[in-house]
Amino acid sequence: MSHTTVKQKRTALKVARSSKTLNVSSGVFRVNQSMTKTINPSFSGKSFSSGSDSKVLDKSLAQTPKHTVQVFDEHGQDITPHPLYNPDPGVLQPKQGKIFPAHEMSWTTMTDFPSVAFQTTNASFTGPFTRSFFGSASASRTSQTAESVTDETKDFIAKPDLSSSLTDVQTRREKVKEQVREDIMDRVVDCYLTETETIWLLDIPAVSVSVDSEDAEAVKERNNAYTELCKNRQGNDKYVERSMQTFNDAPKTKEVQSDSITMVDKAVMSTTWDMYDSFCNKSDVSENTVVSAEGNKATVPDSSSMSHLLNPSGTDQSMSVFSTTSTVSGSSTHLEKMTVLPVEEEPDLELILQSDKFKQDLAMMERVVLANIFQPKLAAYRQLPVIEDPDCVQTQMEEESWTEQTKNSLSPFLEHLWAFKCELTMGRNVSSMTWNKKNPDLLAVGYGQHEFKDQKPGLVCCWSLKNPTWPDRIFHCESGVTALDFSSCNANQLAVGMYDGTIAIYNVQTAEQTPITDSSDCANMHTCPVWQLRWVDHDTGLAGEEKGEMLISVSGDGRISKWIHYKGLECVDLMKLKSPNVTINRQQWNPKILSLAPGLCFDFHPNDSKIYLAGTEEGQIHKCSYSYNEQFLETYEAHTGPVYKVAWSPFCPDVFLSCSSDWTIYLWRQDLPKPVLGFSSGQKVVFDIMWSPHCATIFGVVREGNVEIWDLRVSSLDPTIVSLTSTGVNPTVLLFTPETDCVLVGDSEGHVTVYKLKNLPAGGSTQVETLEDVIWSTLSSQHTLGKTDGSA
Amino acid sequence: MAEVEDTLKRIQGINGVIGTIVVNAEGIPIKTTLDNSTTVQYAGLLHQLTMKARSTVRDIDPQNDLTFLRIRSKKHEIMVSTDKEYLLIVIQNPAE
Repeated sequence: MSHTTVKQKRTALKVARSSKTLNVSSGVFRVNQSMTKTINPSFSGKSFSSGSDSKVLDKSLAQTPKHTVQVFDEHGQDITPHPLYNPDPGVLQPKQGKIFPAHEMSWTTMTDFPSVAFQTTNASFTGPFTRSFFGSASASRTSQTAESVTDETKDFIAKPDLSSSLTDVQTRREKVKEQVREDIMDRVVDCYLTETETIWLLDIPAVSVSVDSEDAEAVKERNNAYTELCKNRQGNDKYVERSMQTFNDAPKTKEVQSDSITMVDKAVMSTTWDMYDSFCNKSDVSENTVVSAEGNKATVPDSSSMSHLLNPSGTDQSMSVFSTTSTVSGSSTHLEKMTVLPVEEEPDLELILQSDKFKQDLAMMERVVLANIFQPKLAAYRQLPVIEDPDCVQTQMEEESWTEQTKNSLSPFLEHLWAFKCELTMGRNVSSMTWNKKNPDLLAVGYGQHEFKDQKPGLVCCWSLKNPTWPDRIFHCESGVTALDFSSCNANQLAVGMYDGTIAIYNVQTAEQTPITDSSDCANMHTCPVWQLRWVDHDTGLAGEEKGEMLISVSGDGRISKWIHYKGLECVDLMKLKSPNVTINRQQWNPKILSLAPGLCFDFHPNDSKIYLAGTEEGQIHKCSYSYNEQFLETYEAHTGPVYKVAWSPFCPDVFLSCSSDWTIYLWRQDLPKPVLGFSSGQKVVFDIMWSPHCATIFGVVREGNVEIWDLRVSSLDPTIVSLTSTGVNPTVLLFTPETDCVLVGDSEGHVTVYKLKNLPAGGSTQVETLEDVIWSTLSSQHTLGKTDGSA
Repeated sequence: MAEVEDTLKRIQGINGVIGTIVVNAEGIPIKTTLDNSTTVQYAGLLHQLTMKARSTVRDIDPQNDLTFLRIRSKKHEIMVSTDKEYLLIVIQNPAE
């Protein structure tokens, strides 16, 4: 039924356009709605009759009443806007009064029910319209309505004129009082639920199936079956229309309360290194179920337990096995860690402090801290540009000294950089210094007295440039140290010569106080102080001779010995420095007792390692050969006092310098028996001289009380730089740095001061030619002098 | 052991060094020359920073490790020598 009504009423359900259909359906709808709203209780349970009403409705559709516009909302309530003009309803009222009771029996009465029920002062505006409509409708269909309406409406039908008049009253507003009669209440009213265009009762969207799909055939069959069914349904006994209404039970609310869920945050941080660590430690952990004393190992299982979540690779089997062990060990170690930790506080500190790594780190830290302080000096030393610390505030004193120096910036001078000194070395006389052959930053300094008196135990300190406040190595020796040399082959071996004639070889890699070997057991050991030591490398070995490096020493007992490190130290004499023939009373007196002149210094030729010079305490310089130990090759005599130092020029192969306590320094040429040049400035003992390794014409001199730098290009009469030391302090040793333009001066107070040579005339080459020119010019002038002088 | 003490004393005696702190692996200071509150503050903060720095270095290359950390500020320079088991912190004022 609903199906048919829907068909018929679909067009009727447009909003307020086609008045006829709308009114009919809407009227009906409204009736339904109103009925359901107001009279629902009475009508509940009653079935709705279908047939007659529908017929009436069908017929009514044929009629077209006068055009009225009505607007209904979705529930069928009339919300038509009210007209502003309301004609006087009083005229027709009595007529309507008669009609209306009749109407009450018809549909219109039903329409008035809402107005009755709601008791509005204004009659429901829809009332008149519908009434008028229905009036008109009924007027036109008197015959039809007569069939359907009950006998009570006969009165109404009999008065068509009234109904027609009613149509004129469309616009009038009328107040109607409705009287609900009991019989009307018992009347069965049919309610129809219809679908509108916006309200559906049942909505199953259509499902489309593609013709090509597998189910297409089945769907087609079903569709066909359905259409057959629809066709057959009309008169079929199988299908009976039946409606149902369900009961809506009253809802009931129920509350349940639960404990609040405690939330725990858990986080795991996974980093690249964590995964790497776990991966590396994986093999160790599975064996390491027992916790060792160190607390830090407990952290390893924790990371490994995480790793089985994080480890990206690895076979599944091994992972599962591993994870169980790790969790077990993790928990056990965790427990143990908790108990062990309080006990471990003390050993923890000790362990750390004693570990080697800590010592290394401490040493490095010391250097780092010092580097902050000494950085400008070290930069100057290494000939790097000195960068000023932007945050460092220069004190006034520094500024003053700076301005002083800048004044003298044109003339050459020695810039004081720093001094190696510490409390250990206070008061000790620096007797020798040498650079390490391999590490140019390592300096070995020997402390020992030169004089016989004031002998105290000697000291060897290995200083590093990186730490000028404390030596890296300290070796205490029994007697004063007088000579030092680093080996070139084994750069860690340091040969030390002492005042009592002992020679010891130390290994500076460790801080052990005992030397590798000692010559004190040797039968042939020196009986007098070892004044100079040198490791000499013999490149060319004659047949039967040993190749390689050997230690050569010269000592106050007049012997130059070669030492071999075999099982102990064994020595072979290279030369005995025989005392020359002394002329007494104009007679050559050949002493029967062979006495040896104490040797003070020696130097091997830089190019030919067979030839060496030896200086004696008697003032002679002997040129000797390594392979010939009977006689000297040549003797140079000019000094009147002990020759403290001889030095071959590193650039000119024939030239050497010698210094002595007779206040003089002589420049010799190998082939000439007499010195070429003599340098003297003041009456002071010359302790040490050294050629500069960079420039052939420069050499440094250490005298009693001052340090001099001579440059033969500038002058051969006066030193280029003279630097006075503080009174009471004598510089004793001079050492040039092999790579930079600095010079080290050791003094009798135990300080080793580093100076930088400033403003010396720069030379591109090593100035060998200059030196030779100087010599040649000197010689030529000497010759001329000699000629004019005659032999004197 | 005595050598270590000597070296520590020497470092502390260097001109400009304000303090030295040795911190263990958990960030607890075990040896210090500064007062307690300062020590605790330095130890805690530098421990965290060192952890972060080490994490950074090792994230880039897990085989690498942090050895030394130097923080230069206007007034001081803080030098931290790092190891798995300890931190050696020296605070220096290089102007002096």
